[in-house]
Amino acid sequence: MRLHMIAVLTLLGVVNYAAGIDYDGWLNIKIEHSLNCGHERYCSRGNISLKSIRAGSTSVIEQIPFTKQHIEELKSIAEVNGFYTMRTVVTSADNSKGTEFFSSVKADAFLENGLSDVINAWVLPNGAVIAVSFQVTNSSQPLLKGASSHKINSNFFLRYVEQAPVPDTASYIQKLEREREAREKGDVKDNRSFLAKYWMYIVPIAIFVMISGATNPEPAGAQGGR
Amino acid sequence: MGLLSIHFKPNFLGLLKCLNKLNWFIVFFSLINLSVCIYEDQIGKFDWRQTYVGRIKFSQFDTVSTAKKIIVATEENVLAALNLKTGQVVWRHVFESTSTGNIQLLHVTEKVVTVTGSNPYLVRGWDSSTGVLLWEWSLTLQNEEQSEFSEFWVQNNMLVHMLPVFGSHVEVSMYNLLSGQNRGATSKLPATWTNDGCVLSAPYYTCISGGVGTQQLLSLDVTSNAVQLLSRPISEYVTVNTYDGGLRPLDTNNVIPAFTLDDKKIVLIRNNQFEILKTEVVDPSASVALVDTMHGQVILQAWFDENEGFTVKAHNAATGAEVPELRVLEPELKLAEPELAAATCSRPRDQLACRLLLTGADDSVHLMQQGGRVIWSREEALANVVAVEFVELPVSDLDAAIESEFDQKEGSIWAAFTRRLQTQFQQLQTLIQSLQKGEGEEDEAPPALVRDYFGLHKIIVLVTDVGKIFGMDNLSGALLWQYYEPSLDTENVLVYTRRTARYPPYDAYVTIVGKHEESGNGLIISLNPITGALIGEKLMHLDVQLLQCALLHRPDNEKLYALILLDKDENVQILPGSAAPLVENMYMYVAEKNTARVQGYALVYDGRSLWARRTWQVQLGGGGAARVVLAARKAAAERVHSPGRVLPDRSVLYKYLNPNLVLFVTEGPDPLHKDVVVATCVDAVSGAVVAAQTHRRARALPLAIHTEHYLAYLYYNDKHRRTEIATLELYEGQSRWLGAGAAFSSLAGRRAPSVERQAYILAAAPAAAATTRTEKALTDKHVILALSSGALVEIPWGYLEARRGGLAEDGSVIPAQASPPELLLGGDARLNYNRSLARPARVHAAPAGLESTSLVLATGLDLFYTRVAPSKTFDLLKDDFDYYLITIVLAALILATYSTKYFASRKILKMAWK
Repeated sequence: MRLHMIAVLTLLGVVNYAAGIDYDGWLNIKIEHSLNCGHERYCSRGNISLKSIRAGSTSVIEQIPFTKQHIEELKSIAEVNGFYTMRTVVTSADNSKGTEFFSSVKADAFLENGLSDVINAWVLPNGAVIAVSFQVTNSSQPLLKGASSHKINSNFFLRYVEQAPVPDTASYIQKLEREREAREKGDVKDNRSFLAKYWMYIVPIAIFVMISGATNPEPAGAQGGR
Repeated sequence: MGLLSIHFKPNFLGLLKCLNKLNWFIVFFSLINLSVCIYEDQIGKFDWRQTYVGRIKFSQFDTVSTAKKIIVATEENVLAALNLKTGQVVWRHVFESTSTGNIQLLHVTEKVVTVTGSNPYLVRGWDSSTGVLLWEWSLTLQNEEQSEFSEFWVQNNMLVHMLPVFGSHVEVSMYNLLSGQNRGATSKLPATWTNDGCVLSAPYYTCISGGVGTQQLLSLDVTSNAVQLLSRPISEYVTVNTYDGGLRPLDTNNVIPAFTLDDKKIVLIRNNQFEILKTEVVDPSASVALVDTMHGQVILQAWFDENEGFTVKAHNAATGAEVPELRVLEPELKLAEPELAAATCSRPRDQLACRLLLTGADDSVHLMQQGGRVIWSREEALANVVAVEFVELPVSDLDAAIESEFDQKEGSIWAAFTRRLQTQFQQLQTLIQSLQKGEGEEDEAPPALVRDYFGLHKIIVLVTDVGKIFGMDNLSGALLWQYYEPSLDTENVLVYTRRTARYPPYDAYVTIVGKHEESGNGLIISLNPITGALIGEKLMHLDVQLLQCALLHRPDNEKLYALILLDKDENVQILPGSAAPLVENMYMYVAEKNTARVQGYALVYDGRSLWARRTWQVQLGGGGAARVVLAARKAAAERVHSPGRVLPDRSVLYKYLNPNLVLFVTEGPDPLHKDVVVATCVDAVSGAVVAAQTHRRARALPLAIHTEHYLAYLYYNDKHRRTEIATLELYEGQSRWLGAGAAFSSLAGRRAPSVERQAYILAAAPAAAATTRTEKALTDKHVILALSSGALVEIPWGYLEARRGGLAEDGSVIPAQASPPELLLGGDARLNYNRSLARPARVHAAPAGLESTSLVLATGLDLFYTRVAPSKTFDLLKDDFDYYLITIVLAALILATYSTKYFASRKILKMAWK
């Protein structure tokens, strides 16, 4: 089978995520699907290989192009609103047997978006992969009609399971110490203005004066006129 | 200055007018409820607690002290005294739930003596009237392996410990009961005839030994100085051919050593001789007891027969004649496998008065008088509640008629008119009826089970470990109905409300999905939660084990939500079968507990049958040894009131509200960091991981909260040796991904939400966690934690927020430096004030009809129910609202207004005349 090479370089958004990885080594993800397989349940769709999990930035994706038969089968799945399922087997230096994953996308969405998908692989700090999931991306390029073969546009992202935050005791103790020091130095002088300090007493008095003034201006005017 | 003095001039009229305006403020402020805690007189007004002890293991009547009691020791490792007249707990001691708390012996004389633990044992003495600990000493055995076969009893103020080594010898030691001093060395009695079928009937140790056909009945008084072995061929008592080795001690016996042979004969040991009684065991399942009365010893037998009901028969041990006064035949009492836990007989005035304490297979306890009158009953199954569901009550008939009137939309104007006339005539009739009834005597019937105005009255369906299902009134805690299914295995049992009582004429419908005790196949019980009657599928035995089950998201035309079952062979069943065409966009997930493999299925209906197609699979442990500790999803049909939260700079941060999100917490070993806890948020439809994080050197606890856009889970930090709570909040960001009102789809769009994380220290040992729930989700959400100290604590989500501090100019979150890293659990956060809960296990919250209020039930050894108002009772007047005062104040103010108006007009008139 003629292999078509598509190398997609993916840059990970945050490089320092990888600092949580205790382990480094190569990673190989074999992708299989059940389109145009003949008698087999699953046959190869492609392969993703990584030199280093920790670096993670470069991965090589090799995938077969889809022929007419592939597209026809995909279309027949899409007619019943069915799922297009991928089987992936992940092997690494200390997992030669491989771990099996499944993931599915809606066949019609995959066709509509011109065979574009995103592959996310989640890695634990010990280098083990916990999930490989496929999701269709929104792509503006629909499938070319009449073409004999179609490329699969895949983007691969290696996602690291992060270290959870720990209760932040250090900065709190620092804050308490700062407060203690401030107290030892002497009370902080309240340098707000008179109004800012005592507005809560002034406002009710002012309201009371205004109400009593506004309700009865006539007698006051009459008295003044007399 | 002159102008000011005019304004300040005392002006009586102006002041009155001013007060007139102020009175509305007074009314307004008096409505604001400022109370936060409850007052002393409110104790027990909104809450109740029920105390339980568990299934009874040993029990004895305390006839010595003046206040009559029953002392019980239970399977739940509880020692308690029950009031003989009411059955209430007088005092209770809850021991450790592990094997160190196991009660091995209960001996009641003037003092209560218990032996607890399993090597080392603790021997304790308790005051029987107060339950105060009097003395304690420990006992450690050298022989570690055999210690589980130890037997204890008290004889002549000595504690006797017997340790049989089967096929070899019997070790007997005696200790001073009070001090623990050993009387002498341990005596070893040679006994090669012992085996694990031997029984102890103190002080005789009895075995059946020998080859088939030549079996011997052997018995040895292990405390006597001279070893005297009683030996008789078994053929003297039973026919050897049918004998299958049944040797049982009597259920209650503190009179004379005795046992039953082959569930047929009763054998006593008197004067170092076997003595076979004339009375035979009536029913193989009968519980046999030997009681001492003034007229000699009496053999009591109790059993339950499907046709005849519950029966007790008494025979005189010496003559074999039946004692007719003690005969009980209660066809009504459904007590499966009854056991005579304790019995006592006295003869005050030439009349035999016996009290029998009976326990059933359903863990219920009944105190019965001779003649069959049940003095009190306790449902000890409630000490082990495994699932809870709050169910709404139906509306009253009158309201239902009004609702049905407005439901019918079709029909001409005349039809509508005649219908209205009819219903109004009906309403008039019921009004007249109620007036007539009011003139007559007061209605004695208990209030009907109908929905109240605020929706605070509900029924709690409780599924217990033993397989008994209860319906409980939430306001009083009274049991309304019960249903016992002996074959129900309640491990991981699920309860679904498939139809609420909102749709008359259809009944409310609750389904309990469990397992069959022996085969492990699915067992489905459907009942009406209002009456407890079986409806629909009734009791349904499936012929296959179940993997997963769920409710269909849309009801059929009878308003019933179909139950979908995924079985071990990945076949799908739907109940009722007619609902299969409704299946569309239905997904399920199955998590394997021990391998941490999670699989997702899409359910497809192809016009003929329903089948499941596996669509995704993830390995949450990465293929290594990890196990799923918990999977937490959002409550079904959860409402979210606000799709975003407003930030200090008036922009809106939109919440990531994925209804299909499931939180998995897994735990596994790690070569570098000992144990590692991984929390993964998985979209259960697409199988995509949304967020994940790990904790090093930690152990997972099966406690989590998942609601709206936030998640919290608890874990034990091994490094710092403390419990911590990790919180996650998921946000879409400053702009909305989908338009307002658009349905969320897991399969479309691949955007990842931003995750806010935080962790806090919890200086307590949590046992259960839940969030409050309200009808429209308008009210704040509080987290309710049950602590092993017995407290039920309410924590506002604000304390746990992952997103602390404001948002800086550039959009980044300012780190929260001011917040203490430890969650402060103040005394006022405690919902159950001084009513501590023994061994809390679960907390459930359910919405009330009133938006501000959430109903909370904590289960465990005790049941505690209360209601909470997380945002205060904004839609309810406070409990002690003074209606009289406000009426008087209002009336006086109106009066004052009009009188001043009158006086003012007179004054103006007078002034005009001047």
